[in-house]
Amino acid sequence: MMKSWTARPQLVTMGVVLIALATSVMIRASQVEPRVASEVEPTTYAIQGARIVTLAGRPIERGTVVISDGRIAAVGADAPIPTGAEVIEAEGLQVYPGLFDAISSLGLTEIGAVAATNDETELGDFNPQLLAAQAVHPASEHIPVARASGLTHALSVPGIGESSLVPGQASAIHLAGWTIEEMLLSRTAALVVNWPTYRLTSSGPPNFSRRSRSFAEAKKEHDEKIRQLSEWLDQARHYGAAVEKGSRDRISPDRKLEALVPVTRGELPVLVNADRVREIKEAVDFCEKQKLRMILAGGADAYKLTDLLASKKIPVVLGPIQALPSSEDEPYDIRYTTPAVLHKAGVLFALGTFNSSDSRTLPYEIGNAVSYGLPWEAALAAITKAPAEIFGVADTVGTVEVGKLGNIIVTDGDPLEIQTVVKYLFVNGRLTALDNRHLRLYEQYRARPKPATK
Amino acid sequence: MGIVRWVLPILCLGLLRVAVPAAAPPPYYAIRDARIVPVTGPVIERGTIVLSDGLITAVGTSVTVPPEAEVIDGTGLTVYPGLIDALTTIGLPDTEPPQAATDAPGGPPPQATPSPGGPRRPASRGPEDRPGSTPWQRAADNLDTDDRRIVRWRSAGFTTAVVASGRGIFPGQASVVNLAGERPGDMVVASSVALPVSLQPQRRSAGRSAGFPSSLMGVLAYVHQVFLDTQHATRVAEAYAKAPRGQKRPEYDRTVDALAQVLADGRLVLLPATNRTETLRMLDFARELELRVALYGAHGAYEVADEIAAHKVPVLLSVKWPERPKDADPEADESLRVLRLRDRAPSTPAALTKANVKFAFYSDGLETPTDVLTNLRRALDAGLARDAALRAFTRDAAEIFGLDDRLGSLETGKIANVLVTDGDLFDEKTTVKLVFVDGQKFEPVAEPTRPDEKPTTSEVDGDAQGGRP
Repeated sequence: MMKSWTARPQLVTMGVVLIALATSVMIRASQVEPRVASEVEPTTYAIQGARIVTLAGRPIERGTVVISDGRIAAVGADAPIPTGAEVIEAEGLQVYPGLFDAISSLGLTEIGAVAATNDETELGDFNPQLLAAQAVHPASEHIPVARASGLTHALSVPGIGESSLVPGQASAIHLAGWTIEEMLLSRTAALVVNWPTYRLTSSGPPNFSRRSRSFAEAKKEHDEKIRQLSEWLDQARHYGAAVEKGSRDRISPDRKLEALVPVTRGELPVLVNADRVREIKEAVDFCEKQKLRMILAGGADAYKLTDLLASKKIPVVLGPIQALPSSEDEPYDIRYTTPAVLHKAGVLFALGTFNSSDSRTLPYEIGNAVSYGLPWEAALAAITKAPAEIFGVADTVGTVEVGKLGNIIVTDGDPLEIQTVVKYLFVNGRLTALDNRHLRLYEQYRARPKPATK
Repeated sequence: MGIVRWVLPILCLGLLRVAVPAAAPPPYYAIRDARIVPVTGPVIERGTIVLSDGLITAVGTSVTVPPEAEVIDGTGLTVYPGLIDALTTIGLPDTEPPQAATDAPGGPPPQATPSPGGPRRPASRGPEDRPGSTPWQRAADNLDTDDRRIVRWRSAGFTTAVVASGRGIFPGQASVVNLAGERPGDMVVASSVALPVSLQPQRRSAGRSAGFPSSLMGVLAYVHQVFLDTQHATRVAEAYAKAPRGQKRPEYDRTVDALAQVLADGRLVLLPATNRTETLRMLDFARELELRVALYGAHGAYEVADEIAAHKVPVLLSVKWPERPKDADPEADESLRVLRLRDRAPSTPAALTKANVKFAFYSDGLETPTDVLTNLRRALDAGLARDAALRAFTRDAAEIFGLDDRLGSLETGKIANVLVTDGDLFDEKTTVKLVFVDGQKFEPVAEPTRPDEKPTTSEVDGDAQGGRP
């Protein structure tokens, strides 16, 4: 609601900018090959006079950012403005790297209660071959809503936190585009593993009511799942080796094993969802033995294991800050202080919303952690640079540096503050509309018929 | 009478039944030179007690032993009143209604005891359907003399139990029974002494919803409404009885009718409460509805003992102290609240004694009487005096249920429920030598091997308020 209201002036500004520049675009069209014949948008922008928070060195108090053909072409106090560039006067405004929701279900689910709009999970315990990128819906209403808060890309994660052991692979996506190909930032960013928990209740025949069961029984199921996981990994190693030896025609292709091969070689990290101390320790042990690159997701108890996570260099993607402690005796603010604790211990961490409709709250969630001891720079990094490093896309996004993709935002203030308005947002170097469903609903109901007064 | 005396043995022979009277022991006993703990008076270090035809006829140091009595040398033995288990299902057939099974082809035949609410009917939609209510049932009418727990409990010195079904919100009236008897009727001391109320929401069973009430607030509202209905119906019935003519006749409602009778007879209403909140809620409830109540469960009563005392409400204290489930997750995060209750529950009896709250112990589903005494020792370790513990198992239990003129002490004229041990009752090494129930002598039967462990799967209860009787 608040967001919709603050986003309003952007439309007007943008409209003016676009109309005013129609002619220069046409001139430029002869110089630069347009992406689409009918497209009339510029490919070079110069954001002038803004404070630039690059997250690569000290902020530039007053400088220029040049974006050209999708990438950042120049950053600096005196960066020259190329001819034909679309100049954005950003006096008093601030430039930041675009924000990155490190774990979301953007594009995979629209309305939880409407089954036809959910494409997050598949049946079965073991589906490493499923790829979020294949399911992402580019026209999801949640994507423009997230953009209005300054998000330019996100990790789209299938089935995290569900009961399936390996629900699929996560993809990093740009939060703008007509097609999934256009949106792809990283097709395969991580393999998702929901670490087995000890479930002391189960439901099933005869009457499907909840039943309690012994720890021994729960442990048996837990151990069996882990055994299966290592068995799959062993098979994938054999499969990978066999394929490498060139006997391709004698091996029947197996999409599941194929998906696992880069994991066994340490090329693709595993995003392990675990919250409790015991499960996190088990996962760390397992990944070490199997030589997997582990990223911890969730990590409610991560604050108790900072030494382990720091020494093993295991990055963490925390869940939402505005959540309850996991037990009634934990400090009430444990979720708020956890990012500061991890930061102090030198654990690389990012923040994820684990959601589609909540992506818009990402900067404000981490903003709350700043009030509980997390340095502001670290908070900003947790939703920009850190997730880029964690998911292997640091060479393309995460900072405002020459050569990186033009995923940046121009705001009128601190993006972690809820009052701040995102004035311009670039995805893949393209100025992207900030219109969204929330804003439309705001306009619609603001214009509702009102009873005559007096 | 003469004819009956002749006819009865013949009938028995005719039925090829081994008649008991042939082997009936003399109903006169005297235990001599024993240490006698009458509970209501000072301990008699060396005295004699005479049991005649089911009653205690003499207790003291200089007692004449009737010539027909079987004399038992009590040297080195201690005589106590028989123990009372103040709330249990001993002697009741398993009334768990396997609701799915009544429909299942080839399933067990329906129980003679109707499940709460009678035969299967649609899930209740509101208080007017009287869900889980069978207050007209009396435990005394459903006794099963073959329940193996009877012998097990008796062998440990329990001679009396307050029995009540645990099924439903108003499961029926509690009865006091002696733990011996050929026929159910032989066992009954008082057919109705109390009305247990459970605040368990209706459970969901296969294929059908729980029906109203399925939440704690629903149960509380229901119980409240039923008592209001009962009080109103009583007034209406009185007015109608005075002048039926010209008045619409009052509606017949089996639940309300039974409850009205129970209240008119001044029976105790038993309300569950574990922690402070639940206790205060039940005390308020009792005061508002002007009910004579006892609280049961009461593990957390140590923190509200003074409030309970101020309300002059007695307590039935479960000795099934809360414990970590045997097959729980060894690394489960247990809350301080749970740990505190687990740690402090055994100190409740001492706290109640200090606050002058009258209380009795009950076994609350513990599987053996050995468990009961083992658990009781934890209360002794937590500061409960032995004489207070003994009172809680005898006189105070009898008094709470209004039977202290018959049970609970070794006094002339009381029912001959007597326990003979070779030492202090609460010492671990002490063994039970003899038990008399209604003046009949029983040798303790060796504790059978522990019943098999319960299956690992069991229904998960919702948020429970208090234990179930």
